[in-house]
Parts: sequence; C-alpha cells; structure tokens
Amino acid sequence: MAPPAGKRVKGTQVYRPFIYGTTARAFNETTHPRPAGVPPDHTHSWEVFVKGVEDTDIFYWLRRVQFKLHESIPNHLRTIDAETITRENEGNIKKQRAFVVSETGWGEFEITIKLYYDSKSGEKPQTLYHHLRLHPYGRTEAEKEAMRSTGEVVAWTFEEQLFNEPFEDFYNILTSGVHDKGAGSKAGKGKGKGKSAQQQQPAETGDVKERSAMIPLTTKPGQPFSREAEAAEVKQIKSATDSVNDMIREINKSVKAKEAQLVALKAEGSA
Amino acid sequence: MASHDVRDMLNLPSEGAGHRPAKKQKTSAPRPNLKGLAREVQSLGGDNPIAIVPEISTFKKRRFGSRKPTARWEMRSFQNSARGDCSLHLRHWRKQTDGRRSRASSQPQQDGNTPGDVGMGTQSESEKLDDSGFAKFNVQVDVPQYSEDQYNSNLVSNDWTKHETDYLIELARTYDLRWPLIWDRYEYTPHLSASTADGEGVDVTDPNTAVVPAPHVRNLEDLKRRYYEVAAKMMAVQKPVQYMTQAEFALHEVMANFDPDSETRRKKFALNALSRSPDEAREEEHLLIEVRRIVARQEKLNQERRELYNRLDYPHTEQDISTFKSSAGLQTLLQNMMNIDKSKKRKSLMDANGMNTPASAHPSGGPPGSTPVSESRRESIAASIGGHRDSIGGGERPERPSKKGASQPERKKLSEQEEQIYGVAHYDRLPSGPTFRYERINKILTTKSHAQHQRITNTLTELDIPTRLNMPTRPVVEEMEKLLNAINILLDIRKINDKVDAEIKVEQAKKAERERASVAQAQAQTKSEDTDSSREDKKSDQTVTNGAGAAANDEVSGHPHERTNREGTSTNGATAEAMQIDGAGESSLVKQETGDDKAARPGSSGAHKRSASDLSSVSDNSAKRQKK
Repeated sequence: MAPPAGKRVKGTQVYRPFIYGTTARAFNETTHPRPAGVPPDHTHSWEVFVKGVEDTDIFYWLRRVQFKLHESIPNHLRTIDAETITRENEGNIKKQRAFVVSETGWGEFEITIKLYYDSKSGEKPQTLYHHLRLHPYGRTEAEKEAMRSTGEVVAWTFEEQLFNEPFEDFYNILTSGVHDKGAGSKAGKGKGKGKSAQQQQPAETGDVKERSAMIPLTTKPGQPFSREAEAAEVKQIKSATDSVNDMIREINKSVKAKEAQLVALKAEGSA
Repeated sequence: MASHDVRDMLNLPSEGAGHRPAKKQKTSAPRPNLKGLAREVQSLGGDNPIAIVPEISTFKKRRFGSRKPTARWEMRSFQNSARGDCSLHLRHWRKQTDGRRSRASSQPQQDGNTPGDVGMGTQSESEKLDDSGFAKFNVQVDVPQYSEDQYNSNLVSNDWTKHETDYLIELARTYDLRWPLIWDRYEYTPHLSASTADGEGVDVTDPNTAVVPAPHVRNLEDLKRRYYEVAAKMMAVQKPVQYMTQAEFALHEVMANFDPDSETRRKKFALNALSRSPDEAREEEHLLIEVRRIVARQEKLNQERRELYNRLDYPHTEQDISTFKSSAGLQTLLQNMMNIDKSKKRKSLMDANGMNTPASAHPSGGPPGSTPVSESRRESIAASIGGHRDSIGGGERPERPSKKGASQPERKKLSEQEEQIYGVAHYDRLPSGPTFRYERINKILTTKSHAQHQRITNTLTELDIPTRLNMPTRPVVEEMEKLLNAINILLDIRKINDKVDAEIKVEQAKKAERERASVAQAQAQTKSEDTDSSREDKKSDQTVTNGAGAAANDEVSGHPHERTNREGTSTNGATAEAMQIDGAGESSLVKQETGDDKAARPGSSGAHKRSASDLSSVSDNSAKRQKK
C-alpha cells in the first residue's frame, strides 16, 4: 500500500454507489444443462460479483476484490485485480467491468468480500459479507414465486461506499473526469481535468455518468436500483415511522391513564 | 507604417529605408480629390478639406427600359391570433401575391380601390385568414404547472392556500412576470367555502359569514418568494437536481435561494441612494474617501506591526531552555543551528536571500523585514530544540512547503451541481477512512443487546420493512434512522407500559387483600353496635376500599351475609347490584339526613358518593380478578 500522500480533505465525504451479490441458476436438462466436468452433486451454477451501478466503471477507486468462498471449494480464496481485467479487456469489444467469480455448487454459505481501494486512496481494505442464495427466498410467497419463474435466484445488494475525509490525491480522482457513458470508454488514469470541462456537457437523458455518484432515475429490468426505488423506499419508511409514532402516542395515552390509576391506587393504599 | 505592416503581412519585399521620406509626403495625397477644382485651390485648405461642395450634375437615369407593371395592392383582411377575440377581422393593404394576381388580373382592378366590397368579403371567407405579423411577438411566459397531487406533496404552505397560489401563478402568466404589475393588480379575496359563496347576498347579515377573513396584504417580495418557491420545487420535481443542465441548475439555485429580506433591504438601499440630496452625496463621498484612507493606514500599520512582531518573535517552547543559558549551552545551540542550516536550509535560503551565513542566523544580524529568513530561522531553531512543532516529523519538513503549494490550488472548488454528481458531502465531524452507508444502520442494530435487537427486528417485520435496506442511500438511511429512533421510543414506552401494568396488578392484589380484611372486619362488626359500624364506615372511607364494601356496611342490617359472601368473588353483576344498593343507600341516606343531624352521617354519605364514582374502575378490577 502506497504511503498516503498529502493531507486528508477535512469534513468531506465522497460516496460511490455499487452493487454486490450473487446470481444463481439451477441446472436442468432443457435450458441450463450441467456442463461437462462439473461434479454430479452440484446442483447450481452461480456467480458472485462486485460492480458499479448500471455497469459503470469502478476500477478507478476499487483496485482489487478478494472473494473468500467456502473452504470446501478448491482454491477458495479468489483475488481479482482490476488491472488484470483491464488487460483482458484489451481487444475485446464487450468490456468486463465487474469483479466476478463464477462457480458451481450445491450449498449456500457466506461469502466474505474484501475490497481493496485504489492505491492513491491510502485506505485499508474493507470487508463485506454476503450470503450466497441458491434457492428462491423472500419474505412472501409471491417474491419466491417471482424468482422461481425467472429461474434465477438473484441476491443483489446495493451499497454506497463512503470515503470519509479522503486524501487530497484521491479526492481529486473522485471529483474529476465525469463523462457520459460510452463517450471515451478508455477508462485510464490519464484522463481527468482537461477533459472534464467539456465532459460537463449535460446529458438530457437520465443516464448515469461515468465516474459520478449518480443513480439511474428509473428502474429497468436487470437494474432494480434507482431513484425511483429509493423514493419508494423512503415513502415506505416514512409511513412506517408515522405508524410507529401513532402507536407511541396511543401507548403514551394509555400509559398516562394507567399511571394515574396507579397513583390513585397507591394513594388508596397509603392512606 | 501601415503600408509597411501590410507588406510584412503579404510577404512583399520591403522597400527599404529610402522610401520613408517619400511616404511622408504622400500622407497628404489621399485627400478627397474633388472634381472641378483646381489643385491649387484645393491645397489652399491645407489639411482640412475645403468646405465647397461641388454640384453634382448627374441625374438618375430614368428607368424606361426596366419598367415593370405597377405593383398591385389589395385590401386584405387579417386576424391576430394573439388576441383573444379571433372573430375580429381587420383589413390592411398588402401587395398582391402571385397566386392572387392571376385571379386579380382576370378581375377588374376595382377591388383594390373599393375596400370592403362583397368580393373582398367572400375572398376572405374562402381562404384562411392571414395571421398578423405581430402575433408572433405575443410570447407567453412559462409558468410552473402542477397537479393537485403535486401541490399536496410538495407545495403545501401555511401561509398560502392552493387557491391563492393558483391566483398568483395565473397573474404571473397574465402579466408576463412583470412583478410590479403583478403586485399592483394583486387583489386576492380569500376563497370562501362554497355554501357561503352561493348565498352571499343573503348571508351578509348572518353573523357567521359576515366575518370576511381579512385579506393578506402581500408585498412584492412575498409574491416573488412564493412564486420562486413553487417554480424551484416544480423544477426539482420534474428533474432531480443531479440531472439538470448547468443553466437549469443555476436557475434552480437562484430561485431556491431567493431571499425576500435581502431583496427588501436592497430596495431600501437603492431608494436611499437615489433620494440623497447633492450635499449628502458629497458628504458621503468625503466620508468614503476618509474611510478608505483610514483603512489603508490601518493596513499599513498592521503590516508594520507584523513585521516588527516577526522580527521580535521567537518560537515558544515548553522545553527547559536553561541548558542553553550557559555559554557552553549557547555554543552547542549555535553548533546545532549551523549543522541544520548546512544540511537542509542552505540551498533554499541562498535562493531566497544571499546573505545566508550562520552569522545572519544570529538574532541581531538578521536583515530587517525579510520574512522568509526569519521564518526559516524559526524553523531551524525549533528543529534544533527538538522538532517541537505540530506533529510533523523533522523528515517531512523540507517537503512540506512545496507540497502545500502544489496541492492547495489543485483542489478546485466544486460547484454545488458537481458536488451532487460526484457525491461530495460535508460534515462537521467525520471519522476518516472508508465505510459503507449501510454500516450506520447496522451499527444501530448490532450495538443493541440481543433481546432488544430481536424486538426491533420483530417491530420492523410488523411494519413490513425489510431489515436490510434495499437502497441504503443517504435519504433512505436518514429516514431509517428516524424510524429506528421511533421504534426505540416505542419499545421503551412498551416497557414502561408493562411495568405500570405489573405495578397496577400488585396494587390491585394489595387492595383485594385489604378488601378481604375489611370485609372480614365488617363481618365482625355486624355483631357489634351500630355506632362502631359507623366509625368503621368512616375508616373505610379513608382507605377507599370500594363502594361495595361500604355499601355492604351500610346494608348490614338488611342482608349482610349474602352480600359479604359474594364480595370475595364480586362479578360485574355484583357490582351492578352494589350500585343499586348504593342508590338505595343514598336515598335512605337522604331520608336519614333530613331526619336526624348526627355528626357521623355526613361522613358516611361522603363515602357513598366516592364509592359511586369509583365504581367503574372497581368493576374493571373485579373483572380482572375474576379472570385470574
């Protein structure tokens, strides 16, 4: 880890949204046959990933991800470097922009995901835990059923990476070079200040820009995390808060009544 | 010079220096050469042209050859789409267009001369009326639009009703946002409820509706503030701030940050400034100059003082300096300083100031007013004393100034929009290092004891909120924190509730115990005399056992044993009976009171009244007891 250069930017927090989680599919004869070489007791294929929202680039702040799988899986410590991915991406038209490990197996377990930040950040790695889901789950039957019908068990988690008081160098990386998706896809370290001026040209669509902390406006298939979903959640929580407050008020009233009763009873008793 | 430049530009060979004098003579040449004047006469005027204007005798050639048929004009009716009344048709003269000319040529020419005849009318009807050329200048301003729902969710205000807001927006549209006009015409009458509005004529005398709510007197700033508030909010609703273009964002910021107070103040200032008399203006100018002079002098004084301080200043140290007080100590100090100067500061100091010898580092020998030297001297002294400066290690010292210079200007100030895009936020206190947004909620949950955690989780399930947030963004997390706080309060209150319940149970148990005791006593009392029973009555009043007990005492003479037997397991029916009995007791009491004036009696009557009021709670208690 490179020694942190410069000072921390006091009182400042920069965040980046990202998604981590697993997607699992059960083997079956017709649509998803078991590939050759996979042990017969393996029932599912699954992958665990860490990626940006709407597949935006995250390599500029996330350098390496280490997935710690179950000990029974050979080579259970999988480390993926952003550098290797970008090297492999060279020449490919479709760029890989996520840290992914694909495996097959039969059991669910907890995956430890360790995030290593860009060397300029000077920050220690952080750990996330994710439970691998192979079987449909959910709080209601309907949720389970929805998963069953698609054939994929999706367990994705939205998270926001907060950089509290980043070092100045890293702060500059985080706060420069925003550009529209697709425009200049070479996500190198060289781009930055010079370009940022013209890249400020706003996109009228609600698209997420590269190198920004934006979240898509609307929910799309395969992209459940958006401002829309956020607003819905805020609303849900607000209404829950309101109902809790109502409950508090009610109980408060009854408690007051009961306390009065108690005082009366005590007065009786002591008199 | 000009020709030289031109040549230079055109890459022509320069004519050399010999040309210069010729050029000088030429300067007077390009004078307007008036025709018909002798050169001598012309040169009489010197540099100024002669004010004799030669008569120009050329006439315009008559254009016989290119004679075209005269343009035909016609009276054509038109309408103005900008006007509300589209039925108004006016006519004006227009050149005939090609399409019509063919028609017009077949017709006699009269229709141009006799405007408004029948043919004209039919023509205007058959064809679509021309729109006035001025209609396009009738531009409507864009005023914010909102639906009922949007109003209710975003724009509700204590001060403004929706009706009044609508009225304001409508006025803004009508007067194209010309605020003085809007303010002038603003005559909002509060919206009365439908019933009163209908029967206004009749209800004037009705005292309820006669009170017309006093209309708000709104000044221009109030109107503006409301309008901008609505406009900014609707803008943000239609497009979240992050996705706005630069121009939109700027507009949004301007509108959202409209400050009516500063606006009022600004106007007042402007009014004051405009209504000054010349004398006052002059005086103000004088004062301003005076102030500027004072400030300048102050600055100069400060500067001098600072320099003086710099010269006098020495680093404060907590270390014991007595070691340096002896001459030997001084010697070592000097040695230290020299070493440090040699190893580190030499180069930079040489650059900054040529006189860097160890001697110049001596306090008395320092060149006056050179801050870099004194600064570095201080540093070197501090370093020699033991690096007692801040927390920066001695090794980093030489790097520091350059780093500071490099990184400070580099960190550019981000605009608010950029901060939104990059997700930059500012807090007063932050633990540095990377974290996850959800961790905050997680911490709230996991720092609780297991039982408490379980309780919170249960409550969340009850409320149908998933324990892991779907999207832990900042607003969501903030809401979640509020919710968790509320849940904590709820759980606390539930705990209190349970505690109070338990205490009530204990008290009730105690009471039951007392009752039993008192009943037993009452039973014992029945055998004793009446006077005793009345005293017992009073005692039971003080301890307020219950009405039934007292009533039982009262009715002892009637059917004592049945009552007391039931007393132990008193049901609702029993208490109802007790009430009846009470009523009977009271009625009998009234008789008694009218009959005799014993001192003991009023006391017992008090007991009865009390017991009646307590009955309801008693019945509750007894019901509970029975459940047990």
